[in-house]
Amino acid sequence: MILAVDAETLRQLTVDGFFRGCSYGLLGVGFALILGVTGRFHFAYGFTYTFAAYMAFTFTFRVDLPFWPSAVLGVLVAAVVGAAIERLVYRPLAANAGPTALLAVFVAALGLGIAGDNLVRLFWGSETQAYFGPTKKAYHVWDTVFLNFDVWQAASGIVITILLALTLRYSALGRRIKATRVNPDLARTIGIDADSTYVICFFLGTICAGVAAIWYALKFTVDPAMGSSPIIYAFVVAFLAGTARSPIRVFITGVLVALIEQYSSIWLSVRWTQTAVFVVLVGYLTVLAVRSSAFAARFRRPIMRA
Amino acid sequence: MELWLNYLDQVLIYATLALSLNLLLGYAGQVSVAHASFGAIGGYAMGYLSLTHNWNFLFGTVIGMALAFVIGSIVALPALKLTVEYLILLTLAVSSVILGLLIATPSMGGTFGLIGLPTANLFGWHLREPHDWVLPSLVAMLIVYAICHRIGESPTGRVLKGIREDPISTQALGKNVFGYKVAVFGISSALAAFAGALLAAWLQLATPSVYGFAFALTIFAIVIFGGMGNLTGTVLGAAVVVLLEPVLRRVVKIEAARASIVQLIVYGLALAVLMRVRPQGALPEGFSIWRWLRGERARRHRIEMVEGWVPKSIGVHERAQAEGVDDVSDEIDRHRKWLDAPVVLETSGVGKRFGGIVAANDLHIELRRGTIAALVGPNGAGKTTVFNLLTGAIAPDAGSVKLNGEELVGLNPAQVARKGLVRSFQDVRLFNRLSCLQNVMMAVQHQAGENFATLAFAHRRVVAVEEKTRTAAMDWLGFVGMTDFADVPAGALSYGQTKLVSLARVLATEAEVLLLDEPASGIDTRWVDTILDLIETVREQGRTVCVVEHNLHVVGRLADHTYFMELGEITAAGTIAELTNTPRLAEAYFGTS
Repeated sequence: MILAVDAETLRQLTVDGFFRGCSYGLLGVGFALILGVTGRFHFAYGFTYTFAAYMAFTFTFRVDLPFWPSAVLGVLVAAVVGAAIERLVYRPLAANAGPTALLAVFVAALGLGIAGDNLVRLFWGSETQAYFGPTKKAYHVWDTVFLNFDVWQAASGIVITILLALTLRYSALGRRIKATRVNPDLARTIGIDADSTYVICFFLGTICAGVAAIWYALKFTVDPAMGSSPIIYAFVVAFLAGTARSPIRVFITGVLVALIEQYSSIWLSVRWTQTAVFVVLVGYLTVLAVRSSAFAARFRRPIMRA
Repeated sequence: MELWLNYLDQVLIYATLALSLNLLLGYAGQVSVAHASFGAIGGYAMGYLSLTHNWNFLFGTVIGMALAFVIGSIVALPALKLTVEYLILLTLAVSSVILGLLIATPSMGGTFGLIGLPTANLFGWHLREPHDWVLPSLVAMLIVYAICHRIGESPTGRVLKGIREDPISTQALGKNVFGYKVAVFGISSALAAFAGALLAAWLQLATPSVYGFAFALTIFAIVIFGGMGNLTGTVLGAAVVVLLEPVLRRVVKIEAARASIVQLIVYGLALAVLMRVRPQGALPEGFSIWRWLRGERARRHRIEMVEGWVPKSIGVHERAQAEGVDDVSDEIDRHRKWLDAPVVLETSGVGKRFGGIVAANDLHIELRRGTIAALVGPNGAGKTTVFNLLTGAIAPDAGSVKLNGEELVGLNPAQVARKGLVRSFQDVRLFNRLSCLQNVMMAVQHQAGENFATLAFAHRRVVAVEEKTRTAAMDWLGFVGMTDFADVPAGALSYGQTKLVSLARVLATEAEVLLLDEPASGIDTRWVDTILDLIETVREQGRTVCVVEHNLHVVGRLADHTYFMELGEITAAGTIAELTNTPRLAEAYFGTS
């Protein structure tokens, strides 16, 4: 195949795709943890992303904390909010809604997302604001350019993903999460507190979103709508990888999605690239639907054979 | 005044779009967040044709609707087998693709969209001012309301609700679930395009942001607010959501920029609160304002959960005696009858493997007219799998299934059911939110009102057939003694009662061959006798029955012929006495050695 680009551009696209993909991957890891374990269609995930960035921003510029403590605090506050949403909103709602819990949670999450984004607007204003943290540095390696923020983003994404994978695999908490993921009711009967496991997953999942948000804010800006695109990518990545899969697999899927997006700009004009990702997604879902037996196996709860 | 008329127009147009979504979401239970982009198809088609070809907006609207119908039907194909979360994702992706394509196409105006559309011309009437628009948008809303109501509150709507509650069970009653889903997706998308074109004509522009994600969520919220499956609720929901902003601005006097933010906060939080306190929406399904105003409050179903309630079956014994059938016949006699009876259903060499597991191997089963065959065997022997293979729920790898000489292998469960082979389910699978009567009515075959074309053009036939269907269903409910519960939602019944309704539902199909999966398991002894009486009566009526059952008392009383199954194979057959006297089987299964 004839590439319409030279090797240099290709390298740059790959590098851009990789770093962007680390962000998608991390978002997907958090969302897959939440959806896969708890089954909550947490559309307010995008809001918690925005909220983490704004909290860090506030700690830096209103409270005058140094960057690192305010970033950590911002992420933690957002994670607490994420956990609170599960505890105070989703859990009572799902208990009330019974078999239609998924749709009810989805609608409530939509509502919370809309309300949350606009509360941010109300308190911090609608305009985009620059977040000046540590000094921005550019690295030139192999004819490609990237920022120190990119490196930190990739490093934090990879570290969090690996830590999460190790936790799931080797720790008591991980076994508890996995048991709940397979069957919460069964997990309850052997004494696992499934409800608090849900809350923990929301806490951990929101940390992933928050960390991705901090790097985005540093690289670009903070604005009230900054969570709307990441939530979509989080969905796409989590579903493409399979929500019950290992975080490492989800993370790699995120990188691949970003690479597809970047490479498609070689053949397509830039304004088509996002559409290209969704076309891939529609195609993938179609294939899944056709092979629906395989599809059931990827879903989080294995269906018992009658 | 003119300003409030403008809001009225907006309410009507939003309501039109939300109604089209409610048909899909409320009645058919198919979640779509893509309806705003189906609206975009209508709006862009209308806008493009009127800008470049000077077409009247009505013609452009029709083209847009046709386009949306086709695209909607295509989207329905992968949507058929997806669970709710995947459906949300799929429709999200589809709407992103549609909007992405529109943005990326220069002739559609790119990110700016189509602006400065000509004033809509309705047969020489130029719709310029908000007050011009009130009547046309009201009429448009009423048309869409009428179409959705016609479909939703008809036998077709009943099938759609069945698909929403339990597609597998709907299919097992002979409904073409696939066709209905595709059709309702297409129709709903076309109606959305109609509303979208109306919106574009009213705004005189069609841009990506008009039909963007925020709009999609608004439409979704309107349906949820008003109540899924309640069309009046949707109109109410549109009024609440649209009027929230101007009321905040002009009545509560919040400044303009803040008002739109506060509006979104209020309605976002209201959605979350609503899901907690009233998940069924402001007006729940089946609630009618008109009936309420006339004082007909929904009858509180007083369900007799009195200890000792027994089904008041229309005297099974009396009926049997009246027909001169002798109630007690001993097993030997019955088996002799079996030997003489003509074969109705015959399987030969049916087999199925799942990977390395042999679920069924070389099955030879005969079901004979006017007799009851039983399929017994240990758990995991593959008894339910046999039912799945016979009805086409699982395609066999080998062998043939012949009903009156006609091959059934290769047909889907709905086709098999229509040929006259119907099954019940071990886990009952009633439509929980539908009444017992509707559950049974769904099973009645040959309903004129289950066809979109008849629904549109042959109203009287639909009404006449519906009346017959109701009578037939009431008869079957009476047969199992559940007449008192006709209006009670199936979800409110006790387990034993659901078994009775499920039996009535199977019987109402008038199918020649009935496969009953554990019809008497899990209920107390008194009820078991009632159900057995009923099944015996069915046999006397000349139908062919096959039961899967563990209870030897049940098998002993019912079965004219018994097949014994182990590990996917039929290892013995004969009367139950013969089987229990086989030492090996007695030890392995019956535990009577």
